[in-house]
Amino acid sequence: MKSFFAIVRVSFRRQLTYRAANLSGLATNLMFGFFRAAVLVALYQDRANVNGLSIQGAITYAGLTQALIGFLSFFNWYEMMHSVYDGQVGSDLLKPQNFFFYWLGIDSGRAFGSFLIRSLPLFLVFSLFFEIVSPQTLLQGLAFTVSLILSHLISFGWRFLVNLAAFWTPNALGIGRFAFGLSWTFSGFFFPLALFPEWLARFSRATPFGASVYIPIEVCLNISQGTELIQGLFIQVFWALALLLVDHIILSLGIRKLVIQGG
Amino acid sequence: MQRNLTLLHRLINIQIRSQLQYPFSFFMEILGSALIQSFFFISFALVIVRFEEIGGWNLGEVAFIWGMTEFSFGLMDMIFSGFDYDYFGPLIRLGRFDQLLLRPVNITLQVLGSRFVLRRIGKIFQGAVIFLFGLSQVGVNWTPLRIIYIPILIISQVLFFGSLFIIGATTTFWTMERLEILNIFTYGGSEIMSYPMHIFPRAIRLIFTYIVPAIFLSYFPAVFILEKTDPLNAPRIVSFIAPLVSLILLWIALRFWRYGIKNYQSSGS
Repeated sequence: MKSFFAIVRVSFRRQLTYRAANLSGLATNLMFGFFRAAVLVALYQDRANVNGLSIQGAITYAGLTQALIGFLSFFNWYEMMHSVYDGQVGSDLLKPQNFFFYWLGIDSGRAFGSFLIRSLPLFLVFSLFFEIVSPQTLLQGLAFTVSLILSHLISFGWRFLVNLAAFWTPNALGIGRFAFGLSWTFSGFFFPLALFPEWLARFSRATPFGASVYIPIEVCLNISQGTELIQGLFIQVFWALALLLVDHIILSLGIRKLVIQGG
Repeated sequence: MQRNLTLLHRLINIQIRSQLQYPFSFFMEILGSALIQSFFFISFALVIVRFEEIGGWNLGEVAFIWGMTEFSFGLMDMIFSGFDYDYFGPLIRLGRFDQLLLRPVNITLQVLGSRFVLRRIGKIFQGAVIFLFGLSQVGVNWTPLRIIYIPILIISQVLFFGSLFIIGATTTFWTMERLEILNIFTYGGSEIMSYPMHIFPRAIRLIFTYIVPAIFLSYFPAVFILEKTDPLNAPRIVSFIAPLVSLILLWIALRFWRYGIKNYQSSGS
């Protein structure tokens, strides 16, 4: 446990050192937030509310999704895969630390660092330009925080699983791109799920992708309350645990197959 | 010239052969990229049903410019992949660009032939499907000029995005790493070109008119082809300058590229 937090700390500090990259990423996400918000404003015209999503909510949605990109890193993560291909994985597996938790530590530090210097500032700047919706009560804020942590666990669980493909094939990049394509697709990242047809919204929300991206936003925008909120958090807990379990099973199978390359 | 073309052909051929080494992986990638990209449009189509139109344009009209932009960007991303700054940045940082400089062949040609990403077929294909869907939905008053202008527009867009890639690659001579901020103009540019651009706030429109002249390659030409009224009240001539704008931008990009090479100092690694 102690070594886990040491890994988190080191990785957190490493993330903070990439100042130029973080700043440049922040500016990019901010601009895309503006683009998407403008599209939603043009769609809404003078409607105040569509299917439970207010215009302010929709604008906030555009900002939030962009703020979360760096934090979740949901669509592009091949770090563990690379470590398999350059042979680094050999020494990582020898460490007296569970391989899954070793990478979870690294990724948690990265996510937390990214949250502090990318997500938060982005959202603050975004809120200077638009009237946004944010958690109103302490309880809602707490639920949002818990939901964000669960989001990261789901996102990591999925990415770890995708990267495990490298244990079997010498070129898992294609599989990775396909898998990350799936996570774009059902996450509600392009447009708010509330604007989708009912059946697709419900389906997407139940996938690990919607659970990771959409559910925390739903909590923040106060779209889900009471039992619906609890249900949303339960979906998240389910996926976090399910992926944790699957990752461990696949990992133990993969270690037996693994051929260490290079050196 | 002949020799250069043969060489380029050969370089690209090697790329294609090596990319087909893992057919399953390759197939997944094509499917994956077509899936991701088309889902963006499908999402939009599902959402616009609730609203009926965006800025006075219906789904078919948006599909027309959306599909065309996707098609051109995909085509460009395949041809100009050597200048993709996501790839070119590491080339500079690891000093591999110096290797190319030592060879007695035109450097621009070598970079162009150094990478050819065949899997972009996925994006090209989905762009074509969206474009054809748009065409089937809009009632265009076809005149010879409108028919001829469409392929000219596509070529102009390819050169336009290609120029942005060349400029992006050139900046890495100084920065030594890819700057994500360039995505605002390349991927961001293609995203806002997919919508009728008058819907965007003035500040964004001005950037994409005077700094990166994207508006001349999608919105203004589409206003002419689809016979839309233009709330911006721009003079009619701006619908027709797409090829001129892209050629000027390409000229600037190549000048900048030459300047960059002349002043290039290796990363030393």
